[in-house]
Amino acid sequence: MTSYVVRRLVSLVPVLLWITILSFGIIHLAPGKPTDLAMQFNPRVSLEARERLTRLYGLDQPLHRQYLDWLHRVIRLDFGRSFLDDRPVIEKILERLPVTVMINLLSLGLVLVIAIPLGVLAAVRPHSLFDRATTVVVFLGYSMPSFWLALLLMAAFSVTLRWFPVSGLLSLAFAHVEFWDLIQHPLTHLAAWQDVAWHLVLPVTVTAFVSLAGLSRYTRSSMIEVLKQDYIRTARAKGLSERHVLFKHGLRNGLLPILTILGLSLPDLIGGSVISETIFSVPGMGRLFYEAVMARDYPVVMALVTIGSIFTMLGNFLADLAYAYADPRIRLSRETSP
Amino acid sequence: MGVLIVSLTALRMEARAQTPSSTETRPTPGDALVVGSIGDASRLLPILTTDSASGDIVSLVFNGLVKYDERLAVVGDLAESWHVASDGLTITFVLRRGVRWHDGQPFGAEDVRFTYEKLIDPNVKTPYSSSYELIESVDVLDEATVRVRYREPFAPALESWMMGIMPKHLLGQEDLNTTRYLRQPIGTGPYRFVRWKTGELINLEVNPDYFEHRPYLDRYLYRIIPDQATLFLELITGGVDLSGLSPLQYERQTKTAYFERHYQRFRYPSFGFTYIGYNLNDVRFHDQRVRQAINLAIDKRAILDGILFSLGSVATGPYPKESWAYDPSVVPQPRDLDQARALLAQAGWEDHDGDGWLDRDGAPFRFTLMTNQGNEVRRQVAELIQQQLKEVGIDVRIKVIEWSTFVHEFIDTRRFDAVLLGWSLSRDPDLYDLFHSSKTREGEYNFVGYRNPEVDQLLWAGRRTFLQHERQAIYRRVHRLLYEDQPYTFLFVPDALPVVHRRFRNVRPTPIGIMDNLIEWYVPAPEQRYHRMAR
Repeated sequence: MTSYVVRRLVSLVPVLLWITILSFGIIHLAPGKPTDLAMQFNPRVSLEARERLTRLYGLDQPLHRQYLDWLHRVIRLDFGRSFLDDRPVIEKILERLPVTVMINLLSLGLVLVIAIPLGVLAAVRPHSLFDRATTVVVFLGYSMPSFWLALLLMAAFSVTLRWFPVSGLLSLAFAHVEFWDLIQHPLTHLAAWQDVAWHLVLPVTVTAFVSLAGLSRYTRSSMIEVLKQDYIRTARAKGLSERHVLFKHGLRNGLLPILTILGLSLPDLIGGSVISETIFSVPGMGRLFYEAVMARDYPVVMALVTIGSIFTMLGNFLADLAYAYADPRIRLSRETSP
Repeated sequence: MGVLIVSLTALRMEARAQTPSSTETRPTPGDALVVGSIGDASRLLPILTTDSASGDIVSLVFNGLVKYDERLAVVGDLAESWHVASDGLTITFVLRRGVRWHDGQPFGAEDVRFTYEKLIDPNVKTPYSSSYELIESVDVLDEATVRVRYREPFAPALESWMMGIMPKHLLGQEDLNTTRYLRQPIGTGPYRFVRWKTGELINLEVNPDYFEHRPYLDRYLYRIIPDQATLFLELITGGVDLSGLSPLQYERQTKTAYFERHYQRFRYPSFGFTYIGYNLNDVRFHDQRVRQAINLAIDKRAILDGILFSLGSVATGPYPKESWAYDPSVVPQPRDLDQARALLAQAGWEDHDGDGWLDRDGAPFRFTLMTNQGNEVRRQVAELIQQQLKEVGIDVRIKVIEWSTFVHEFIDTRRFDAVLLGWSLSRDPDLYDLFHSSKTREGEYNFVGYRNPEVDQLLWAGRRTFLQHERQAIYRRVHRLLYEDQPYTFLFVPDALPVVHRRFRNVRPTPIGIMDNLIEWYVPAPEQRYHRMAR
């Protein structure tokens, strides 16, 4: 088993390398330079000044030279400095990561708690009114543009009803509290945590609502498949109660594919939706990535792509492992085969 | 329970805001101004700021040697007075005494020289070096006197000394590109930096020792709200006190009784203009008659009224009416389709084949008007122009392109027919970089390729004299010549539309904006909203 794990991990390295080469090439293919956003069409900035800046950022070097410089530093875990404000890229990522992860975990939790029961119940009574009604609702969430939903909820709950704040992470009363403080010393900042909770209700709701469809439909179809199996019929024939059949035999098998989905959603944990982050003024990873691309902030883009790829491959791998562990058939077959 | 507390507090604040204000004669200190911004700042050192958010913060934390007052005259800021020698080559600044940096250290002439040295330092990532490269030397005559010597007379120099002065005692040993002072600035300005929560908020507190006088407002809170719609919702729920409105919001969404009661809207001309720039090397636009014809065929009034709800004025040149360089005798010609067609016919463009489009040598008059993505107003203007030019038989195609791509692939390479863009200019009327025939290299701003020897001479002369009346005559003539030559079709100058919560007193619109007298703004005690905020 260990040799399998090691072999799999090692095989990920060349893939990662190729991903970075491709990403580097693609982002440089896009027309424009990092010095553009601020300095193009600014009458106070001369051509000479722009050329000097191009040199200072190392952008006049040949492409492969720039890539190798980058790789050289990344191997030592130095992701360089952002072109936008010269801050270390790692710092920019770490200050945004907690919020994004928190929103995603909360949203994922909400989705799991709602979508799985929904899917299971729909599978138990396929084509019933319940099934059809829930299908309509989840597809509504899926097809709705998230910014529209966000603005609607904001207008209704924050502006008209004044139940929740309009945007941001913290009220001005907590303007002096940094997010990292909250995480490191949660108990001294209970009031601030309550404030954060109120601010996150709408963003988490929006993020969750649009993802309900996927998981609930997947659960439903997987359960329907499982419930058609012979062993289920056997269990029923043995006289077991429907609840016993469902929970002991049906769910265990039906929910296995969910593991795969969860594994593949690992990179989503660190990815933010730039749309809902923009609407709710949440300083998250989505905005970081989008703004970096628009400004051609290569170090930040490359760092995010690399980290995202690592997470994707790791998630994939963990999903495989978890599946192998959970499903005795796969585990046993692997042990017996050479 | 939390919800109950929140709503009760909101109600209490509401009640306060509605207290009718008695006539206030004595300003009271206290309260905070919460400003909403679409973008976050990036660098908070004056010589490195390029985005407007950083610029907003820097303008409150730092001072330049001089500044503009509300009548657009140059007045002293850190400099008490200055003297320009008769040959125009030397400016001597006498600095104010007793000014202190936010850390308590005294400000002096050494800081001015230090700022200059960093501006021309090739290793510092400042884009503003060009205005200072004409300087031969900056000499410290004593701790309150600085003499700047130029290689040639350079009138825009005075404006260049509005650049924020940086503290030598703190930054002298630092690498300005990466120093921590980029994120924790120390200046001489009316507000001191407290905290920057990246992507969320920049917190400034009052500088009680500010050299003019202690500003009345205790705090300035800069909230980053990247979405226009959210910013508006924050405004109407009281989350933000000051914001800019779009013409649509100004005209259609802020005329409710609630808004009138709680907010004050302002309107003043911005210092910039929107235009159509023609590629003058294109054989079709090379002919002045064609450009003049298009100018006559476009109804700028209709554009202004229809798309900007009349919140602006028609432009005839690069200067707004408030500028001393504006020539009031240059009057916009009314729309005249017959005259336009006549001019085009003279240039050889007529509808020979009867298909409704003008043509010459068998080819129809069709061109692509390009503009940048992300500007809804501009896109609508392009569509209206397309419709208006159709009436004279010109077929306009519209192309909207992402900014960086636009600049690199089309403007720098001169692969465009015509562009619809805007310039946001400084108050000094020097337009050398835009219209001088030498500024046509790739990446320079005379990308239309304009060449007029008389304008060249005027622009050159306008920079070299400090005498206001001489410069005024020069630039007024430039205004007239540009209108006659039409390298651009000048469309309009949009109005700036800021809105401020009514509890703030002493807010008034001027040609330079509403924030120039921020240190005079105050909120009467019963109406104050934010009390004793923690650092």
